[in-house]
Amino acid sequence: MLNLIRCEFWKLKRKMFVQLVLAASFLFPIPLTAIIYYLNTAQDKYATKAAAFDALWQSVIGFGMLLLLPCILGIVAALLFFMERDNDTFKNLRTIPITSSQMVVAKCIVLLLFSVVFCISSTVASILCGFAFFGVTDVLFKILFSAVYGLLIAFSALPLVLLIVFFSRSYIFSIMLCVFYSVFNLLATFSMTALPKWLVLTLPTPSIMMWGTQQMASRIAVNDTEDLQNFIQMGLIPSTPQLIITLGLIGAVSLLLAVYLYKKRSE
Amino acid sequence: MSDYIIETHDLTKRYGNQISVSHLNIHVKKGRIYGLLGRNGAGKTTTMRMLLGLTAPTSGEVTIFGKHFQGNEKKILPRIGCLIESPGFYPNLTGTENLKIFATLRGLKNPKYIKNALELVNLPYRDKKLFSQYSLGMKQRLAIALAVMHNPELLILDEPINGLDPIGIAEVRDFIRELCDASGKTILISSHILSEISLLADDVGIIDHGKLLEEESLKELEAKNAKFIHFCVSDAQKAAQIITTTFSSKDIRLADANNLYLYNTTLPVAKINRSFIEAGIDIQEAHLCEDTLEDYFKKITGGEGIA
Repeated sequence: MLNLIRCEFWKLKRKMFVQLVLAASFLFPIPLTAIIYYLNTAQDKYATKAAAFDALWQSVIGFGMLLLLPCILGIVAALLFFMERDNDTFKNLRTIPITSSQMVVAKCIVLLLFSVVFCISSTVASILCGFAFFGVTDVLFKILFSAVYGLLIAFSALPLVLLIVFFSRSYIFSIMLCVFYSVFNLLATFSMTALPKWLVLTLPTPSIMMWGTQQMASRIAVNDTEDLQNFIQMGLIPSTPQLIITLGLIGAVSLLLAVYLYKKRSE
Repeated sequence: MSDYIIETHDLTKRYGNQISVSHLNIHVKKGRIYGLLGRNGAGKTTTMRMLLGLTAPTSGEVTIFGKHFQGNEKKILPRIGCLIESPGFYPNLTGTENLKIFATLRGLKNPKYIKNALELVNLPYRDKKLFSQYSLGMKQRLAIALAVMHNPELLILDEPINGLDPIGIAEVRDFIRELCDASGKTILISSHILSEISLLADDVGIIDHGKLLEEESLKELEAKNAKFIHFCVSDAQKAAQIITTTFSSKDIRLADANNLYLYNTTLPVAKINRSFIEAGIDIQEAHLCEDTLEDYFKKITGGEGIA
């Protein structure tokens, strides 16, 4: 499997993939730094410079990781999963023999690694901006937390992988699917209180966001603490085992179906 | 144990109502080149895909190296090298990089495997040219390099000379022959180009509309090709009567009023000519003819379609 993962990366050579993902991780930290710097200096919104940095990091998590990352993962998934179809290399792999399940698992692991790299890179970008304009604290926690977030968001993006393999159409269609998936998750997050509790706890992105906010609350100054208390009282925040079971189930079902479809498509 | 490296039993592939391969029974002997000859769409590629597990048969069985293919894929496939349809590689990588991926996945750590395979097909090792910039011939050569890289016992090559220039065709032909003669490899090769099969194969299977029409050694097939004497005369009817009565042979065919074919080539042609002249029949032409393999192919498949 390690060889298969290494080969997946070799296949991306000259596609500037890693560089583009890293560049995308700087998309939100830079403008968000400008906004928070303005709020801090002009409106004096944050008590300390460290609080301003924590606000920046939370905004990067919200926009960069929870909104942008699923889109990026979907596009990366489309490129990875369409690669064999577009280049007619299925036959070469299957006669080695590499099974469809091995191919799907290897590609999903690559996706997961991209997700973790993106999240860590986003945090590093925030830290760099933070060093320049705010006060950076608890660096190790933030980097480790973003790695965990990357892992969780990768799992939450597996249904998107399934959809991409299911439709197996053009790249544009896949990008549209990614945007729809991200917007759908964002809308669900915004309207959490109006949705049934079971649905909120089943939808991956709101669950990750709620769980993450509660975990962060013990280490940093969390925005909107009143809202967080409300969500806790309403039972909308999943426990760690609950989140692992939900994401594990969603991931396992998506992966199994994706393997089945990928095998069918390759024939 | 069977002498055959590949054996199929009633192999059938159906796509909806269309039968692509029907009750195919082929037998590929060890250390020989088996040429699967057929027109475009005859079912050659589908057959090869089924032999490699790329397409599941609707019914029937495949036995390779004496083992049932189904259930033994992991044991059988590493012993096979193949080229199916068009070459499939990653366009953003060079030839060497492409082979490196497949070598790694096959567990071939030593770069000499890649280097040797590329040298065999006259492609440069560690060249900077990307696969997307390759000519059709170079792509085909790289696909052949991939097929032989891991030194397989059996090669399954689907139209390997596609896209090659005449020199390249001759080189690949010699190279395939050498693989069989010097390394004792068994090779199943498909083509719609009859001359290629006749120059390369030891055994030939003729497939048409998914059915195997003939399976014989090339020598047997060549021996089957009919020899005959063609007479172009002023009165073919009268000439036929002379052959029947004077030379006691009924092995003749009247094509029209002037053309007559005599299939018994042991009869004395000079005496026949004299008899015709004595009977007042003018002879325009008289010559010994032989059906080519192509004529034979056309005869059994009932039409055109091969080069």
